[in-house]
Amino acid sequence: MYLYLPVALTSINILIPVGLGLAVGLLSGLFGVGGGFLMTPLLIMFGIPSTVAAATDSNQIVAASTSGTYAHWKVGNVDFKMGFHLLIGGFVGGLFGVQGIKILRAMGNADFVIKMAYVLMLGIAGAYMFVESLQSMNKNKVEDAKPEKESGVARLLKSLPLQTHYEKSGVTHSALIPIVFGGFVGVLAAVMGVGGGFLMVPVMVYILRMPMHVVVGTSLFQILFNCIEVTFLQAYTNHNVDFVLAVLLLLGSTIGAQVGAVFGRKLKGGQLKIILAVIVLVVTVKIIFELTLTPSLLLSQAGGH
Amino acid sequence: MKKFKIQNSKFKIVVFLSLCCTVALLLYCSSSLAELTINANHDHITIDFFYHGSTVSVSGISNQDVDLIVKITSPEGHQVMKEKGKAAGFLWMNVGTLNLEHVPNFYALHSTKKIEDILNKDEMEKYVIGYPALEKHVGMSPVANESDKTKWFEEFVKFKEDSKLYAMSSGKISFSHEGGKSKYYILTQWPYQAPPGEYLVTVYSVKDKHIIEKAETRVVVKQVGIIKMLSGMAANNGAMYGIISIIIALGAGFGVGMVFRKGGGAH
Repeated sequence: MYLYLPVALTSINILIPVGLGLAVGLLSGLFGVGGGFLMTPLLIMFGIPSTVAAATDSNQIVAASTSGTYAHWKVGNVDFKMGFHLLIGGFVGGLFGVQGIKILRAMGNADFVIKMAYVLMLGIAGAYMFVESLQSMNKNKVEDAKPEKESGVARLLKSLPLQTHYEKSGVTHSALIPIVFGGFVGVLAAVMGVGGGFLMVPVMVYILRMPMHVVVGTSLFQILFNCIEVTFLQAYTNHNVDFVLAVLLLLGSTIGAQVGAVFGRKLKGGQLKIILAVIVLVVTVKIIFELTLTPSLLLSQAGGH
Repeated sequence: MKKFKIQNSKFKIVVFLSLCCTVALLLYCSSSLAELTINANHDHITIDFFYHGSTVSVSGISNQDVDLIVKITSPEGHQVMKEKGKAAGFLWMNVGTLNLEHVPNFYALHSTKKIEDILNKDEMEKYVIGYPALEKHVGMSPVANESDKTKWFEEFVKFKEDSKLYAMSSGKISFSHEGGKSKYYILTQWPYQAPPGEYLVTVYSVKDKHIIEKAETRVVVKQVGIIKMLSGMAANNGAMYGIISIIIALGAGFGVGMVFRKGGGAH
């Protein structure tokens, strides 16, 4: 059955968005990512204009991450305090990022810099997670001894003011650390035009030292707020949110997120990390292919109306 | 009759003059020619919730020994495209923008035979019939030279054909003969990608490589019901539209979460 999309101005078989929603929602509930790095290119492939695809996806993520956060919260896997601190940083970082894009555009060649930054970030985050989780899976027992030897960096972090205990995560950090790193991810996400879940997850795992299952729930919680903001701005300034498409996507993604959350509890943290790493690496390789193979169409619709 | 000149930038005047010219021709030749008529059945296409494109049949009466060209176009306007090119020598990405002027968003041609075989070049350009004529008519920037313009215009046509907004066909117009006159008929697929608006359908009657008559009608594509309400709200009341979209997404997320709890998902 086909439905007409009033903002995308195109018609789509409803099985496509519902199916895509289900698949990406599943990943969202499992790994705590928004999945925009998968969803947006897939929607474009099915004939949705690129600007509408990105804006509508953020609306859909609001639903998927609400569903996912709710499922993780029920089993106590959302660290609200950590989430708030990351959000403060992310919000401020986003403001800087938007200014950063303006500067890049003024210098020219912005698309090249942004695309390269995106590929590099995906590649580095994916490769680091992959290698690290492989190593820690190989020597599971050695890991227990790890926290005892503290590096100089760790001692420096401990000496910062505003030391706060994050109960759900079972870690103590200066509140400045999540704010600063949240801000860093916020800047990059705004510049690259993505949600940044694939960067936030490694930051929480490796820098904030949070347990993987709490990472997933907390990441979804802060993605939820980011996407509410983005959806509103897109609808208000660019008029690019397609409500019908968003509803079709969220039909699948809200259910997918629940299934993902349940399924995730059955996997170990290391297993979750390595699967996410593989997905991120596959997307990286796909983008590299797209960049190097001659495209069939050399023109595309410019953004905005 | 030959006092008008083709001016690319003043297409409307050309259209008007060619209309006058046709009328004059019609009056002049009325003794020897049958009147050309055109009819588009399904001329009010409504886009509702389940719209997946439509069909438009174009029919009418023509002389027996002529060829016909049916042209369907949207009003001309300005379009901006992103150009892909090689950055740093080997990476394909958007490297620039292409501006097109006097370009229709929709352009479909259906003819009895191949256009190059039945119409001479001057006539094609005068009436903007065929891609080469359209290329000449359209203003493009930035292009370095003629061959650069041709290259990017071909890419533009490729892009438009890919989204079904430009189309060409020959030999699909059928005839039935009655007395000294012919009834012509063609059924065209109306693509769902064509946005709402008013479309001009013109039939040209061609003899000895010249256009001797033309007739016009219109097809109106309109949004109705929920689709009209939603697209209107998205465009005119973005803040409210955004808030409603967010509330529905939040509600759906919580709703599904509750259902899963009741369904015994949490254990």
